Amino acid sequence: MHRKFPLGLLIFFGILGIISIFIPHPSWEAFDGMLRNKVMLIIGAFALILALGNLIRVHYLKIKRRAKHWPFSIVTLLSFFVTSIIGLFGDSGANTMDGSFRTIIGTFEFDIMTIYFKILVPLGATMFAMLAFYMASAAYRSFRAKSTLAALLLISAFIVMLGQIPVGAAISKHIPAISDIIMRIPNTASKRGIEIGVVLGMLATMLKIMTGIERSWMGGGE
Amino acid sequence: MALTLPLVLLLLLSGPTGVSVQDTPSDNGESIDVSWEMPEGVAGLVDIVVQRAGPDEEFQEIARVATDMNTYLDETAQDKIPYRYRIGYSYPDTVVFSAETEQVISTPQWFNTNYFNVAIGLAIFAVLVLIFIQQARSGRELFVRRIAGLEAVDEAVGRATEMGRAILYVPGTGYIEDIGTIASMNLLGEVAKKAAEYGVELKVPNREPVVYTVTKEIVKGAYMEVGRPDQFDPDSVFFLTRNVLAYASAVDGIMMREKPATNFLMGPFAAESLILAETGAAVGAIQIAGCDKVTQLPFFIVACDYTLIGEELYAASSYLSREPLMLGALKGQDYGKAILTIFLILATAMSLIFNVDISGWFN
Amino acid sequence: MNWERLLMLDRRVIFLIMALVIALPIIFPFGLPTQVTDRTQRLFDTIDATREDQAVLLSTDYTPQTEPELHPMYISILRHCFARNIKVLMVTLYIEAAGLMDVGLREVMDEFNARATTHEDSIIMGEDVVFLGWKPPPIIPILAMGQDIAGFYKQDFYNQETATMPVMQGIKNYRDISIVVAFSSGSSPLWFVQFAQTRFGVKVGAGVTAVSVADFYPYLESGQFSGLLGGMKGAAEYEELVEREVGVQGRRRATEGMSSQSAAHIAIMVFVIIGNIGYFATRRKR
Repeated sequence: MHRKFPLGLLIFFGILGIISIFIPHPSWEAFDGMLRNKVMLIIGAFALILALGNLIRVHYLKIKRRAKHWPFSIVTLLSFFVTSIIGLFGDSGANTMDGSFRTIIGTFEFDIMTIYFKILVPLGATMFAMLAFYMASAAYRSFRAKSTLAALLLISAFIVMLGQIPVGAAISKHIPAISDIIMRIPNTASKRGIEIGVVLGMLATMLKIMTGIERSWMGGGE
Repeated sequence: MALTLPLVLLLLLSGPTGVSVQDTPSDNGESIDVSWEMPEGVAGLVDIVVQRAGPDEEFQEIARVATDMNTYLDETAQDKIPYRYRIGYSYPDTVVFSAETEQVISTPQWFNTNYFNVAIGLAIFAVLVLIFIQQARSGRELFVRRIAGLEAVDEAVGRATEMGRAILYVPGTGYIEDIGTIASMNLLGEVAKKAAEYGVELKVPNREPVVYTVTKEIVKGAYMEVGRPDQFDPDSVFFLTRNVLAYASAVDGIMMREKPATNFLMGPFAAESLILAETGAAVGAIQIAGCDKVTQLPFFIVACDYTLIGEELYAASSYLSREPLMLGALKGQDYGKAILTIFLILATAMSLIFNVDISGWFN
Repeated sequence: MNWERLLMLDRRVIFLIMALVIALPIIFPFGLPTQVTDRTQRLFDTIDATREDQAVLLSTDYTPQTEPELHPMYISILRHCFARNIKVLMVTLYIEAAGLMDVGLREVMDEFNARATTHEDSIIMGEDVVFLGWKPPPIIPILAMGQDIAGFYKQDFYNQETATMPVMQGIKNYRDISIVVAFSSGSSPLWFVQFAQTRFGVKVGAGVTAVSVADFYPYLESGQFSGLLGGMKGAAEYEELVEREVGVQGRRRATEGMSSQSAAHIAIMVFVIIGNIGYFATRRKR
């Protein structure tokens, strides 16, 4: 029963999801919209509570047991609680024309955008910027012309890279045009081929799950 | 005499012809299609006026469209109310109207006929998959080509066992409704069973709360299935953060500190793919990646030892379990792709050689 | 030359070289002319052809991580619209982008208002531009704007009523929008094609990151996109067009960044060449 019930739910809602594509009637759209927007949001909200509970528990236990690298857990929990308190209990009020979101707890006033612009934005930009360095080290380590096809790929990569910068046009006015052709034709063709396979794979996975053939997502043992 | 001049002008200036109306097909109601013959060679035309009248109402203007249009979609119509329409050619000093149309009523439809071809395609594909599942059930041996990345799973888990270090399984940064995440969940079940059998530590960091709840159940179920429920550590499957780059940063930290022997990077990834893969390469882990996002594949191919490309990720659980029914579904999918490829080649040949465009045949 | 040692070069040396290669051109930029591609020109021309009774709808759906590539696109399109007196409506489908949109809008408004001498030259919130803000989930606003924009976004981002704003007079839904331009590091431009263009026929343009521009080429080829800006180069091209064709002067962040990007691309190519020479040299030795 504990496996048949989730499978039954899956088949029911899966079929509902599929036939929703074909039914434009507004009463069906409203029902489908309610399932996709409201019900999924409620499920997500409860899952978030479980996940946050797990986060607090894991790091609390690390601190309690003085496990390896436990000071990082203090930083994690402190950041979590400070941001949550400011977001949940501060009086953010209405957006203001001067661009700040005032959070007021008693006489303590804090601009929540400070966390956004002074912490979140620089940290996110830093992580993203690391890609440039990782790309360079990956290119140095792995880009090898081990075969004719690999050599062709390297040459195409060089042309496309030059086409993306003004230097390419300065070397030859044909480089940006050739780069554009490589992107528009062989690149698009290969992507479309992979994406067709991906979509059919998605359909097959959906059929396997809905017919109960694929059951590992249910967990819980036999 | 004063009246005859405007009458003469009206006779000389032409009005719209061929005006027709219909309830917009395959829609959710409150919409009527109005069309008329394209005005050609009509001099002095400023724009085209669309007027509508409800029951017992005078005609009111509802839109003015450019002179190069010959259709109008009236989305302000209410369902179950009969309307009449007329179209007017607007000149600088006057408007010449067509005769009013017959009554038309807008209603919502229960089936979108534009997607009829999609329904047929889905049905054909489903039948193919079911045929091969049935063949697998009857005991027929089904050949599946070797996929290097999946053959290496045993080797990767074995390496972690020998080195006494953990396996890190990253189930992607997508949502639970992403099929790539579901495929990753299916593969996680297989990897978790192997990890439980070999007694090697498995860590599964999660970015999405709903995915976290599912991965926890999958890993727990895997340990129970191999008869080692006591070895399951509930803290081995954990939630990190919803921010994608913060998640990547946290996983990188786990890799640098705990130095897993094996990394599985399976599921939907975005820009963080290279950050994760390159850090894994830096700590010397054997890495098997699988992603259905084409833009991230080059990064995984460069930085990982094995990469599952596109649909190979969806085939993973079938391939590893070798269950006949799942292999049957895989074969059906392959034959579906073969049929699609044949259609593409035929359509291309017809277009290039015979100049026949078949794209409109299936609407 | 000890190629084996060179091939085993510590990653950190590569990171240091890259840091210098990227940082030095920011301090000592070398200017290179920007050649405008067809896909950028198409977007520019479509926006430029906006009639007086229409508006342009901008949707910024990017996060701080992709700000360096996408923010300059947004800024230069704002400058283009303001200089041509084109009404601008702005929305965001992701809450994280709201702050960036707000900052960018204020920056461009301050630029124009510092130069303005009359009320007509000034850019006034509510008269020339409105920031409608964020409403969840992503698809619902896209569909709702096909019916009644002010009806869905009853208040703007600053809690001002939208229905009575001068900028919204005569702008009801997509029929009054000349083009929707979505700046995204994900797939929100495709949502606009799927829901707004398919149902309501509005033109769609996109500004996307360089790594994902290849994903969107099929839509440009099929005509579903009326223009496509790809990465920092696309932003630099649009900045060039705005300065050359419209005559608006302003800080060209993407163009400044092209010096670093050029140096970085060349550095990576040099690394690849050295790596391959080393590979063949050591292979021959064996």
